[in-house]
Amino acid sequence: MNYPFWYIPHLGSGWVIGIIAIFHVVISQFAVGGGLYLPMAERKALRMPAGPIRDGWLKQLASHSKFFLILTGVFGTVSGVGIWFAIGLTHPEATSTLIHNFVFGWAMEWVFFMIELTTVAVYYYTWNRIDPKLHLTVGWVYAGASAATLIIINGILAFMLTPGDTWLAVAGTGAEASKFWNAFFNPTYWPSLLMRVGVCTSLAGVWALITSSRMDGDKDPALKASLVKWSVKWLVPSFVATPFLLVWYLYMVPASQRALLTLGIDTINSGTFSTVTRMALIIIITSATIIGVAYFLAYRNPTDFNLSHAMAVLLLAYIATGAGEYSREMLRKPYVIGRWMYSNGVRVPYVSRINQQGYLATSNWIWTSPGLSPTSYSRGEAIFRGECGSCHTLDGYRPLRQLLDGRDSASIRNFVVMLHDNKPDSPYRKFMPPMVGTSQDIDDLTNFLNAQVNPPAPANSKPVLTAHK
Amino acid sequence: MTSKTASIYDWVDERLGLSELVAFARHKTVPVHSQSFWYYWGGISLFLFLVQCFTGVLLLVYYHPGADAYESVRQITFVMHFGWLIRSAHSWSANLMIFSILVHMFSVYFMKAYRKPREFGWLSGMALLGLASVFGFSGYLLPMDELSYFATKVGLEIPNAIPWIGPAISSMLRGGLQVNEFTVQRFFALHVVVLPALFLPLLGFHLWLVQRHGNAMPPSEEAKPAAARKTIPFFPNFIRKDLGMWLVSLNILALLASVFPWSLGKQADMLVPAPQGIHPEWYFMSPFEMLKLLGNFLPGEAGEIAGLFIFTIGIALWVLIPFYDTTSDSGRRARAAHYFGLIAVFALLATTAIGYWTIR
Repeated sequence: MNYPFWYIPHLGSGWVIGIIAIFHVVISQFAVGGGLYLPMAERKALRMPAGPIRDGWLKQLASHSKFFLILTGVFGTVSGVGIWFAIGLTHPEATSTLIHNFVFGWAMEWVFFMIELTTVAVYYYTWNRIDPKLHLTVGWVYAGASAATLIIINGILAFMLTPGDTWLAVAGTGAEASKFWNAFFNPTYWPSLLMRVGVCTSLAGVWALITSSRMDGDKDPALKASLVKWSVKWLVPSFVATPFLLVWYLYMVPASQRALLTLGIDTINSGTFSTVTRMALIIIITSATIIGVAYFLAYRNPTDFNLSHAMAVLLLAYIATGAGEYSREMLRKPYVIGRWMYSNGVRVPYVSRINQQGYLATSNWIWTSPGLSPTSYSRGEAIFRGECGSCHTLDGYRPLRQLLDGRDSASIRNFVVMLHDNKPDSPYRKFMPPMVGTSQDIDDLTNFLNAQVNPPAPANSKPVLTAHK
Repeated sequence: MTSKTASIYDWVDERLGLSELVAFARHKTVPVHSQSFWYYWGGISLFLFLVQCFTGVLLLVYYHPGADAYESVRQITFVMHFGWLIRSAHSWSANLMIFSILVHMFSVYFMKAYRKPREFGWLSGMALLGLASVFGFSGYLLPMDELSYFATKVGLEIPNAIPWIGPAISSMLRGGLQVNEFTVQRFFALHVVVLPALFLPLLGFHLWLVQRHGNAMPPSEEAKPAAARKTIPFFPNFIRKDLGMWLVSLNILALLASVFPWSLGKQADMLVPAPQGIHPEWYFMSPFEMLKLLGNFLPGEAGEIAGLFIFTIGIALWVLIPFYDTTSDSGRRARAAHYFGLIAVFALLATTAIGYWTIR
């Protein structure tokens, strides 16, 4: 509301975050899990009797840690910063709230990032150059720092879904930061932390399968088999625990939002919100497939497990992770910060004030050209960008031209009024914020949307039939 | 096996001869080389066909052929629990199945796996492709929305263009002069009874041949000495990998069906003219576009007949390739067949692409 709106045609600005963030999560959660994998594997290898298997393990781990350093240190960090850019542009309002509440949390996070980056570089470059015990200690320091980064960020992320009643009681009073710890250890904090730890250990296994699958199974079958099979075991804890953790997680989500899960069971019609159901189906099937492929291909046939197989597992993990993060985001509708701020940045207690004063009147940034007074269309466009652009595009993702297709001007106005009134029996109330503004705002938005859905005929159109002399 | 399982197995084996079947399966080995990836595509096609059978039976329980067709599909898609998912899976799997059959066919062609002793495999495979196309065409009409109705109406103009017997064929397919509820019932019978009755025995024959003759090697692999070639047993090693590919295909299907669910257009209104840009599904786009292109060059009916003629000759040459490219060395005929294959792929891709680009 207080910032210019960043509208990305076709894709939608939300997906800019999504694409960067899902990529980041697959790598960063590997950083946490792999950070545990490396010292545990190193310790296991150091305890082996001297011989080719022990040497092979240590050599492979050194190679894996180089891969780990580059992947997490380069792609992980760049995509993490990328998230900052994306959220600041896409949703400055929510970002502002998070920063005001959790700035010291992020400061702590960056201390741990510095420790991570330093220790991972030291870990790789001092293989076989320092005392093995000291080298192992460096690995454990990394593991601890990396775990701390997850522990911290999870609080901020889970807060967005369930800020908790304590924080909500002081929201908007200026005293929000006094409830830092209540907001941090919010209702979904613990189930989501444990689920993410499971994902981290699974991703550690998946990425380890990538590097170990490239070993030559014909040349060194015993070595490859031992590494591949040990890596597969890293997938087990998450797959056993996640179903229970998921039930716990959903139990802590407010009932009205939990209900979003069921909207796609019987219909996918326009005007329903079937996304969460559909994404949940994808998580189930890709996870079940990972179990199948990991057991039957990797565990039972480790020497034949090649890079293509490992890439298939990685792709499935990517899709499962992406679908999971997407469902989590969708579960939060109609809010971006649960029960406090709607997805379009409007704060819940301010709705009646904006309805009286007008949406554009309460917005600091209006797109005006000097010398041109705003028309209904241009005001409508500004309202569209502010109130609808967070979730809708005109022609691409959740396209309004298609969703409103077939409606005339009066029908569009009725629809906007229905969203504005937001009555308890409105089917959209579950997943859409109310349309806020005066009746002038309603008219302006209607004019803009109508111009998109029913564009006026071109000026010099020829008649279909012409009379011949 | 535990002793309990072993004794049950022995009891069944004495009566049905299972161990002979297992021995038959075990004798087969699968070559391992750089082109081994293509060996999976026949199995993927089979898997997708099994998905079609499963989802098809579920749809069959709720679908009403005839005048109620559209309403029953509307209920499946927008009312029944997970009806939309079964329908989406069925529609997507149909497209993926035809795609994988085409990949399978082209990989068999370029690996020259139609040569002796596999000619029957090639011929039965081409018949299966034909039946799969008719499956697709007949299934497409069943929802009776605008797109299905007009695509079928336009599609049936193609047999109509056959000289002399064309109109009679089209009339028999339509159940009259118009596409209406009788056509739906006719296509339904075709899709659910006649085609499966033809497809299943032919598929069994095709699979038995693959078991009997094994997988063909590309000429480059055949040239290697026997000691340098690597193989793995079909049972259980290759089957395990094959099932892995089936699982991957299931995931791709689930993803497509969930992220891009199949919707339903408006109910077909037989009194309105065909909407602009009507076109068949992608696998019929090539002959459709070829007829259009030739219709631009040749006046009137001559264009359609020429298009049909060229396409029919092309298919005939394609089907008869095992009798042209027979020997195992890379002579003139082998090279000619290879280039013919490349031209065919290019022509199909080009006409399909042009077809989509020129939709108005």
